[in-house]
Amino acid sequence: MTKLNYAATFGLAVALAAPAMWAAEVHKEARLDIAPGGSVNIFNNGGSVNLHSDAGKQVVVVYTMHSDKVEVDQTTTADKRRAEFRTHVIADQKPSPEEARVDYDVSVPKGVGVTVSGATATIVADNMSSDLTLSTDTGQVTVRNVYRSHITVHSVAAPVTLSNITNGTVDVTTSTGTVEMTSVFGPKVKAGTTSGNITYRGDCAGGGEYSFATHSGAIDVLMPETASVDLSAHTETGILQTDFAFKAKDHNYFTNKQGSSFSGTSNSGLSSLELRSFSGKIRVKKQ
Amino acid sequence: MNCQQFHEVLPEILENGGNEEEEGHLRACPDCAVLVQDLDYIGTQAKLMMPMHDPSPRVWEGIEQSLRREGLLQEGRTPRLGNVMVLPHPAQNWTVTGWIMAAAAVLAFAAVLIGYHPKLQTGEFSAQNSAAPSTAVFDGDDQQVLSQVSHQEPAVRQAYETSLREVNAYIVDARQAVKQAPEDTVAQEHLADAYQQKEMLYQMASAHGLQ
Repeated sequence: MTKLNYAATFGLAVALAAPAMWAAEVHKEARLDIAPGGSVNIFNNGGSVNLHSDAGKQVVVVYTMHSDKVEVDQTTTADKRRAEFRTHVIADQKPSPEEARVDYDVSVPKGVGVTVSGATATIVADNMSSDLTLSTDTGQVTVRNVYRSHITVHSVAAPVTLSNITNGTVDVTTSTGTVEMTSVFGPKVKAGTTSGNITYRGDCAGGGEYSFATHSGAIDVLMPETASVDLSAHTETGILQTDFAFKAKDHNYFTNKQGSSFSGTSNSGLSSLELRSFSGKIRVKKQ
Repeated sequence: MNCQQFHEVLPEILENGGNEEEEGHLRACPDCAVLVQDLDYIGTQAKLMMPMHDPSPRVWEGIEQSLRREGLLQEGRTPRLGNVMVLPHPAQNWTVTGWIMAAAAVLAFAAVLIGYHPKLQTGEFSAQNSAAPSTAVFDGDDQQVLSQVSHQEPAVRQAYETSLREVNAYIVDARQAVKQAPEDTVAQEHLADAYQQKEMLYQMASAHGLQ
């Protein structure tokens, strides 16, 4: 068979397969009234969930199914305080991971809380002012441009990235996933991992409590010289390094020990910053 | 008498009580004592739960199979555990409630068996144990967590396995640190964090199980 024949055969196969692929992909849109302060719950094992705020008073959910082996059930309570979208496999069907995935694009009014649960689903929350509870096993979690919200993220191995979080209460727990925070500040910012690395870039502003803990992951904090923090850093068997100009504290609940424990303040020590690792390296550096 | 030998005669002990040697082991070994206590409790509760219905042979077969799987019952030995729960009433047709209660009893029993892991002393590892698969590092609860995500994609299952292994190492390290310095606040916080991590894994796996 000549190259030309190969190309023709390939082209024919693509031409025949493409309509079938398009036919399997179904887009649907749902618009639901939601009460102020209500909540939206989304259960979606695979695929993606993109969240953003909308000026309207309805929840608008556009979802794309990639096969007819799954469907999305939607329910709303009578008082409109809770709406739920749940992807599930149709009985007796055994979809492949690709067939089982559903991609959601969700717009919620400001102040309406959102809960997302998934397994491999990636989750992106952008430009929101809503309380967020996001949970996925291995899908990437990205939260950015969120204002005055409670953000809770749970993951098994999923990497978690947060950026431009203003006045947020943040609580991230991941087992082996990494946590990256850039310009995240608020009254309480907490991240904990078993072995995932934690990186914070920012000034720990706002007089809040910042607490990062890990067993074997590394903790890297990069702050501008103007950062005003009261630092407590301790590692059991790891290494502690800092090139930041802290004024050592005379008294703390642990004793300062070169290379493993340190407590001190920079500037007026407005925010508290607690770093704790068991065997992971802790580094506090100038940005 | 060691735990293995004790397990071999456990059904008889449960029915007739043990001899001096067996009683002595029971007094000396807290793990076996807890096991016997649990089995007695389940037997008593099963009686109370099913006062009107004699379980079908399938129930006893299920228990027997569980015992054999756990190595608590050897081939050729008659399982007498069922006799502990022999009921005074004549056999009747099973009701739905009866089935549910029997199933609950079997599940409770299986949970005890799965969760029971006697502490082997140094040098006490048997050939059977040494040939065990890598999942043997997980205790009964961990195994249950892994079974709840067993239908998920391989990458998800692997993520849970890795995470459980690492969080267990965290707990071991933190426990050791607390043991060495009970007043050490940081060590206590590590231990709390480690358990919090494990709790999260359990919760997330349970959510999958429910779905």
